[in-house]
Amino acid sequence: MTPARRRTFEFLLDNLVWLMLITVLVIFSLTIPHYFQFGIFANILEQSTYVGVMAIGLAIVIIAGHLDLSVESTAALAAMVTGLLFASSGIGLGLSLGPPIVMIPVSMAIAVAVGVVIGFINGFFVIKVGMSAFIVTLASFIWVRGLVVAISGGRSAQSLDSAIRIIGVERIFGIPLLAWISMLCFVVFSFIMAKTPFGRYVTLVGGNETATYRAGIAAPKILWSSFILAGALAGLAGWLLAIRTSGATANLGTGMLFNAFAAVVIGGVSLKGGIGKLPGVYAGVLLIYSIHTAINLMRLPAHWTQVILGLLVLAAVLLDTLKLRLREKLL
Amino acid sequence: MKMTRRYLMGAAAAVALASSAQAQDKGTVYYMVPTLLDEFQTTSVDAIESFFKDVGYEVVTLNADNKTDVQQSQMADTILLKPAAIVLAAVDFNALTPSIEEARAAGIPVMQFDRQITSTVSDLTSVAGTIEIGHVAADEIKRLLTEKKGAVSGKILQVLGDPGDPYTLDIQKGFEEMMDGTDVEIITHPAMQWEASNAGSIVADELLATPDIDLIFVHAAHLAVAAVASLEAAGKQPGDVMLVSSNGAPVGLDLIRQGWEQVEVEQPLFAQAAALAMFADKVVNGEEIAPGTYDVLGLESVVTIEDWGPNIKIPGAAITAGNVDDSRFWGNLQAPSDPISPVE
Repeated sequence: MTPARRRTFEFLLDNLVWLMLITVLVIFSLTIPHYFQFGIFANILEQSTYVGVMAIGLAIVIIAGHLDLSVESTAALAAMVTGLLFASSGIGLGLSLGPPIVMIPVSMAIAVAVGVVIGFINGFFVIKVGMSAFIVTLASFIWVRGLVVAISGGRSAQSLDSAIRIIGVERIFGIPLLAWISMLCFVVFSFIMAKTPFGRYVTLVGGNETATYRAGIAAPKILWSSFILAGALAGLAGWLLAIRTSGATANLGTGMLFNAFAAVVIGGVSLKGGIGKLPGVYAGVLLIYSIHTAINLMRLPAHWTQVILGLLVLAAVLLDTLKLRLREKLL
Repeated sequence: MKMTRRYLMGAAAAVALASSAQAQDKGTVYYMVPTLLDEFQTTSVDAIESFFKDVGYEVVTLNADNKTDVQQSQMADTILLKPAAIVLAAVDFNALTPSIEEARAAGIPVMQFDRQITSTVSDLTSVAGTIEIGHVAADEIKRLLTEKKGAVSGKILQVLGDPGDPYTLDIQKGFEEMMDGTDVEIITHPAMQWEASNAGSIVADELLATPDIDLIFVHAAHLAVAAVASLEAAGKQPGDVMLVSSNGAPVGLDLIRQGWEQVEVEQPLFAQAAALAMFADKVVNGEEIAPGTYDVLGLESVVTIEDWGPNIKIPGAAITAGNVDDSRFWGNLQAPSDPISPVE
C-alpha cells in the first residue's frame, strides 16, 4: 500500500462515524417524507444537546480508563435543582434575581456546582478509597436519582423563568441556541483533549495508568479531575434539559445514560481506555438522534420503535468493530 | 424570593392530609405504589395514608419503582407480614395476578387502586377507568374540533407514555375507539419511559413533518409541559395548536390557566382513594359490599359486582378554563377537609 493510499484509508477509518452519519442522513432524506429540511436537521442538533454534553464527560472518564454511570442522575439532579429554584409552578420556588440576565449565569453555575459535587464524591471514592468506578458510580446513579425524588417529593417544577427560558427559545442562524451551546462544548473540550497537557495526560492515564504514574504524571489528580469534569458537564446537561422542558420532573433524563454510552462507543472511544476523540463522539450523538428523528417521522407502531432503535445502534457499533478489525488487518 | 401560591397550597394540602384523625389500630394496610416518579402516584400516597388513618388503619407504603419483579417481591414479603389488607396499584395489570391470588389464599384481602385487574378476583377495585379517560378525552376533542373547524375533522398528534405501560395503552384504546369513524387523522408516538424531553422531541419533529396539526393529545400533564416548550420554541402562541392532556396534575391545570391547554381529563384521585377507605372495614371483615350508588366526596360513584369482584367506578371529569379552580380537582392540591367515614 502506498503512503498516500494508506493516509487516505486511515483518514476514512478515523472518520468512519462521520461517513456513517452522512450516509444515514442521505438515506433518510431520500426515503423518509419530510426528513430533508433545515428544520429537521436543526431539531436533530437540538435534541442531541443534552446527551451530547453528557457524553463529553462520560467519554473523558472512559478515555481515562474508568466509567461514570452517574451522569444521567447527576443531570436529573441539576435539572431538578434548577427547576426547584427558578420555576414558578408546581414545587418551583420562583426565585427571581435582578437584573434578569444574571439569572442565566447564576442558574448555570448552581447546576454545574451540583455536578461538581457529585463528580468530586465519585472521584474521592475511586481515587482515595480505591473502590471500583463501576460500583461507585452505579451507587451514585441510584442515590442521586433517589435524591431527585426526595427533594421533589415526586412532584414537578414547571414554568421556568422566562429570563432563563430564552436559551431554549432563541435561535442563531435558524439553529437553536441550545445546539450552539453543545457544539461550543464539543469544540472547547475537543481542543482541551487534543491540544493541552491535561487532555494528553487523560489519554495516557487511560492507556496505562501505572506507566504514567511512574513517568511522573500525577495520575490520581488527572483521574479525579476527569470525574469532576464529567459531573460538571452532566450538571450543565441537566441545566440545558431543564431549560428545554421549562422545568423538571422526577423522571427527567431517564434512559439518557444508555444513549450517551452508545454515542461514546459509536464515536470510537474504547471502553478499555486510552483511545478516543471527542469529535467522533459528537458524530455518534448526532447519528443516534438522526435515527430517533427518523423513527418519529416514519410513524412506526409504538411498540417497535425501541426494538428498531436498539438494532440500529447495534448495527452502528458492529460497523465500528469491523472498522477496528480492518485497521488491524490493513494498516 | 417569591413563594408561589401553588407551592403554599401544595404544602397546606400535604399538612392537611398528614394531620388527619389518629389511627384507631384496626391494623396495618400495605399500599403498593407503582412509582414515585409522577405526581399522581405521589399524591395518592398522601391520600391513601390519610384516608385510611381516618377510618382506623395505619398505612405502610412500598414503592416498586415501576418494576414488576420488585412489586411481586414486595407482595411476597408483605403476605408473610399478615397485614389487615393490601392496596395494590399494579405496575403490570396481569403479572400481579398470581401474587393477588396468593395473598387472598393467605386470608389477606386485596384492594385495587386506580389500575383495574380483571384476570382474577379482588376484594374491591376503585377506578376511574383508563379506557373511560380515553372516552372523555375523545368527547372533549370532538367538541374542540367542532368549535374550531365546524366538524370533527383534522389532524391529531397523540403522544402516549411508555408503550410498555398498559395504563397509556388503555387510554389510547378508549380514545381511538371513540374517534373511529370520524374524519380525523391520528398520528401516534410513544414518549419512552414517560420522559418529558422525549415528548418534547416528538412534538418538535411532528410540527415540521405535519405543520397543520390541529390538536395534541398527551397522556400525562408533565408531558404536556414539554409539548408546550416545543410549541413555544416553534414560535406558536397559546391556542395556535390545541392541547388536551390527562391525569389532572397541577402542571396541567397551570397550562390551562396560561391558555396553552384547553382540556385536562382528570382522574379523581382523592375520590378513588377515599372509596377504598370507606369500604375498608367491610373488606377487612369479609362483609358483603352491596352494589348501588354511593356518594364519594360528592361524586356519584357506582358499585357493581363484576367477575373480578366488587368494582367502584368514579367518574372522571373534564377540566377546562371554566372550572379549573374547582377545589375538588386533586391538581389544585386542596385535600378534603372532612374526615372519611366508613360505609355502614
